[in-house]
Amino acid sequence: MLTIPPLMDDGFAGEPAKRVLQYMQAHKAKGDPIVGIYCGYAPIELIQAMGLVPAVLCAFSKVPIPAAETVLPANLCPLIKSSFGFIIEGTCPFYAMSQAVIAETTCDGKKKMFELIADIKPTHVMDLPQVPDQREALPNWKQMILRLQEFLEKTFDRKADENKIEASLQAANRRNALMQKIFDYAALRPSALHWSEMYDVGFLALPATGAEMAPRLEALLERLEKRVRDGLHFGRPDAPRVLVTGCPVGGDATKIFKVIEAAGGAVVAPDACTGMKAFAGTFQENSGDPIGAMAERYLKIPCACMTPNERRLTDLSIMIDRFKPDAVIDVVLQACHAYNIESHKVGRHVQEAHGLPFLKVEIDYSEGDIGQLRTRVEALFESI
Amino acid sequence: MAHRFAGIDIGSRTIELVVVNQSGQAIHTLKADTGFDPMAEAKQMIGAVVYEGIMATGYGRNLFEIAFEAPTVTEIKAHARGARAFFPEALNVLDIGGQDSKAIALSDNGKVKKFEMNDRCAAGTGKFLEIMARTLGYAIEQFGNEALLAEQETTISSMCTVFAESEVTSLIAKGQDRREIALGVHASVMRRVAAMLQRVAPEGDIVFTGGVANNACLRALLAQKLGRRILYAPQAQFAGALGAALLALEAA
Repeated sequence: MLTIPPLMDDGFAGEPAKRVLQYMQAHKAKGDPIVGIYCGYAPIELIQAMGLVPAVLCAFSKVPIPAAETVLPANLCPLIKSSFGFIIEGTCPFYAMSQAVIAETTCDGKKKMFELIADIKPTHVMDLPQVPDQREALPNWKQMILRLQEFLEKTFDRKADENKIEASLQAANRRNALMQKIFDYAALRPSALHWSEMYDVGFLALPATGAEMAPRLEALLERLEKRVRDGLHFGRPDAPRVLVTGCPVGGDATKIFKVIEAAGGAVVAPDACTGMKAFAGTFQENSGDPIGAMAERYLKIPCACMTPNERRLTDLSIMIDRFKPDAVIDVVLQACHAYNIESHKVGRHVQEAHGLPFLKVEIDYSEGDIGQLRTRVEALFESI
Repeated sequence: MAHRFAGIDIGSRTIELVVVNQSGQAIHTLKADTGFDPMAEAKQMIGAVVYEGIMATGYGRNLFEIAFEAPTVTEIKAHARGARAFFPEALNVLDIGGQDSKAIALSDNGKVKKFEMNDRCAAGTGKFLEIMARTLGYAIEQFGNEALLAEQETTISSMCTVFAESEVTSLIAKGQDRREIALGVHASVMRRVAAMLQRVAPEGDIVFTGGVANNACLRALLAQKLGRRILYAPQAQFAGALGAALLALEAA
């Protein structure tokens, strides 16, 4: 599909999960313990400060869904069904490597699914406050991070002092700043960065430490700079630019990105926990309370499980100004009530505050709806 | 020198073909069942008329594009254009076809502003009415008129086509009046599309297109429920093909 040499030319281009697997195997071989995580609220910097390696667990394939449906209801979010199916079928290599799993009370489906896997491996559930701007939310969340620290200390017999945690935050800030510089190339018109390259980089940058990533990201920035000098870009210069917001999109769900491209569009801003959201925000440095600083940054993630979630609209506005999309598509995974209901507000905001065409699509991981998606996306582009 | 332009709407149930002259008047209209080989059917239809340019729409448009190297347009834009041909001031369009329904809001200049489609489920589509008509023993052309003769409605509560069919079957077995059940079936479709219209196009007259627009009962129920005028052209089923033909003409 790409005629431009891939950004990460390491034989794993377009297969970010395989690259991450290799990374995990290398750490495993060194004897570093691996902790499975599911969600953007898992405080990765704490895990890393303790010398543990966080592995994002499998959740984006339709293959294990029939197995999951022997236990879970069919009318449930495909991400939860897929996650569960991977575990009961024993097909997620990251889960197999993990010695413990960190989970959060984000949505009802996940909460109850975690109960079903809790007896397979040590599974620690963090109680995530869902009214983030209430006075108690931040201290409560900080307590939950401290509790996680206790769990990890006990499970892995490792400790992290405040200096180590502070260093971990600072390294993450550096990494996030570099990631933002990389995303700047997608903001160019026409875009010099493909969404699959954002995934290639992001899927590795998330579990890897700031120290490991910084030199790699700097090298990638040089490649991108050269790409721009050579006048290379993706798609037709006049291709409709699309900001994709909503539920996480990976694996089989990336069909929506492919449909957008088949309809002549360019995905310039994948805003979701699988995209740019993971690298947003900064940790306050040298605050004297690194866990508190961590809690503050994580609680600002604008997930639809939060209420009210005005931050999602504020962040969208900033992203719209930066990436200059011609249209916004809100991806809702089937049966994800939080994102589905919130879509009404998002659509109104995008249309009224920014005058941009907006489309909500409800998808699962199957291929059966590609034709219908194509019609919707083409009609959206016709309305630009 | 181009004089005539065609639009072909390859839907899930029927294919329509319209040819317009230089001034946008329809000079040919053809209709056929889609069947199991839509491209063979389409080929036969385009062989029967003369034109200089053609544009395809409908779910089969991409197949047609490959087979006949024709430009395509989505059925949303095509129906919007067709609706404006029938009613030049149209700002709201409801299209109910064989296997989907869509609500479209237009800007003053006729451009699509907002739309929503239901194509995941047969409820609220022509297929639902077709199955229920058969279960009740009515010809689809007569279904709406028969329902209008009912004095009251028997409520159909199942949303799913399969369950609604068994619900209708059990109502028949209980000796319920056929026309009252028929009215209930129409009301069920009406409620689905009324909700979609209220979300997408909440104000003003509505142009009803697609084959189901021919159903007088559904038009009456919608007008009553929404308190808005439902505008209907006898050629409503050809709105998509006409719109595509006009877009081909305008692109030339």
